[in-house]
Amino acid sequence: MSVDRRQRPQAEGGRVVPNYAFTAGRTRSLAGSDMPIEALVTATEMGLAKAPGMPPEARAIVEASTEPQSLAEIGALLGVPIGVARVLVSDLAAEDHLAVHLPLVGTDGRPRRELLERLLDGLRAR
Amino acid sequence: MDSVHADGRAGTATTGVAPGARRDLLPLKILVAGGFGVGKTTLVAALSEVPPLSTEQQMTSLSDGVDDASIVPEKTTTTVAMDFGRVTIDDSLVLYLFGTPGQSRFWFMWDELARGAVGAVVLVDLRRIDDCFAAIDYFENRGLPFVVALNAFPGTDGVDDDLVRDALAVPPGHPLVHVDARDDASCTRALIVLVEHALARST
Repeated sequence: MSVDRRQRPQAEGGRVVPNYAFTAGRTRSLAGSDMPIEALVTATEMGLAKAPGMPPEARAIVEASTEPQSLAEIGALLGVPIGVARVLVSDLAAEDHLAVHLPLVGTDGRPRRELLERLLDGLRAR
Repeated sequence: MDSVHADGRAGTATTGVAPGARRDLLPLKILVAGGFGVGKTTLVAALSEVPPLSTEQQMTSLSDGVDDASIVPEKTTTTVAMDFGRVTIDDSLVLYLFGTPGQSRFWFMWDELARGAVGAVVLVDLRRIDDCFAAIDYFENRGLPFVVALNAFPGTDGVDDDLVRDALAVPPGHPLVHVDARDDASCTRALIVLVEHALARST
């Protein structure tokens, strides 16, 4: 079993830091374009507490992210290109104001089989 | 010690670390490709639980001669708009559908979009099948699972699926569905066929 290397770029060998360390605020370690357009963000309690004092764009992102939002949705919300949304989200994540939830892919770069099975179940139940 | 890694469920570990973070959230994406006006946005709208949103991506590329104004190749910045929608699958999986620009000159943005995707629905208007060749070529070359979805336009019913596969140069038996892009159930079935195909190809 393996996880997306992009989530743990130095993961060769016995790293003991679990995945969440990489999805909760460690986006600065992601080269900008590595945060995919479908990455989900959620506001942290600290982010929500500090939102009133943030610049308008940052505040809008954090407050919208009380419900999970994708990077694409953040871009649409602010009316900015994806690249701009990515920078804003990365900064907020680096400050632990947002948690980032990255897609989970296997070594072949495709979603893992268990996820495809859950997706299929969900679609059939619609 | 490394069991969290081995489990491979990033979301499991998300719980409790970032206060306010949801449990086990995982995004998935499916691309909806096809020529201009073939019904990509209609299909996304039929499936999405929110009205389709539009986002822009700025692209820098070498001018490829499509723009008449460029006599010599030079760097140009292109803004490409994408429509997308959202389908909540269960308490942790969220599926995003991205309508991708159909023109081959935008191939450079497909790489980013295609990375990590479940696969693609290639929407086809049988009256203008040339429009989908670029998308089919791309997905075949990248090994991305795709399903051919024939959108129901007037005068396009009663066609033989094998003739269509032949015309599109996809192998016999390649997944092909007939859809009404306005109809949720019809579009859902196209997604199911795609995911079944992706599962059959996954190890």
